[in-house]
Amino acid sequence: MKNRIWITVFSVAALLCLGVWLFISNVSSPSRVVGIYKDGSLVEKIDLNSVTGEREITLSGEYGDNVILVSNGHIKMKSADCPDKLCVEHGELKSSSSPIVCLPNKVVIKFEDNTDGADAKTGEIKCIPGN
Amino acid sequence: MHTRKLILSAILTAFALVAFVIEGAIPPLTPIYGVKLGLANVFTLFALYALGTRYAAAVMSLRIVLGSIFTGQLVSFIYSLTGGLLSFLLMILLKRFFPLKQLWVLSVLSAVTHNIGQLLAAVFMTQTLAIAYYLPVLILSGIIAGAFTGLCAQLVLMRLSKIHYKS
Repeated sequence: MKNRIWITVFSVAALLCLGVWLFISNVSSPSRVVGIYKDGSLVEKIDLNSVTGEREITLSGEYGDNVILVSNGHIKMKSADCPDKLCVEHGELKSSSSPIVCLPNKVVIKFEDNTDGADAKTGEIKCIPGN
Repeated sequence: MHTRKLILSAILTAFALVAFVIEGAIPPLTPIYGVKLGLANVFTLFALYALGTRYAAAVMSLRIVLGSIFTGQLVSFIYSLTGGLLSFLLMILLKRFFPLKQLWVLSVLSAVTHNIGQLLAAVFMTQTLAIAYYLPVLILSGIIAGAFTGLCAQLVLMRLSKIHYKS
């Protein structure tokens, strides 16, 4: 009896989370300005639409280097020295709701708000060793 | 006799460690950090219900410390510990409300707490609030993984209910 109540509660919660996740991950960022953060501070801001050719940005951290590849309209983590490379598997930065994150090296790549100086409303690439 | 419980908790720690290392060797399903089954938790739950709070605390903390040493990932230690401590606190606070038949419920609640704790640690470590966007996925994965690991521990314990570990 009690089990049934809990199953219902958890199913509803799970569906709700799934809904919220699907919703926020499909909202494409209105901004094309990307911010690259290291240890919480902004390293570089790039307008993806104004990039010509390809460019690599290398960030060094405690656990080795992160190489970020920027080309017109696209940004991704090309390679990383961290153990599991979740940030590389993340692929291109697409949505403001799924930033690229490398936890070992504390690198975050995300879309910036259109307004200057805003931070938390954007996307990043993720790369963290198994917990 | 304490010896029996001591030996059993040592065995459970070893099992948990093996489960942790094996699970870590399997490539992650998604590129999202923290989405994993958490098989090692089966043994913590087992210890909690069969041996009691103190032994479960020992099994879990030893597994986290040894697991970080075995896998050689010091960063993950911080996340593991934050999540582990939070979820363990929740477990010992709420255990009295959940008899063995509802063990899986407690497991789901603690798995979700674990994931939220890890996310908080990640937000704190990177100083970036944007990571909080992963909250819905982590809650979802916590519910699924928690139900699975909880059921594992619960079903085994129910079948072994004639054994008196505490003797």
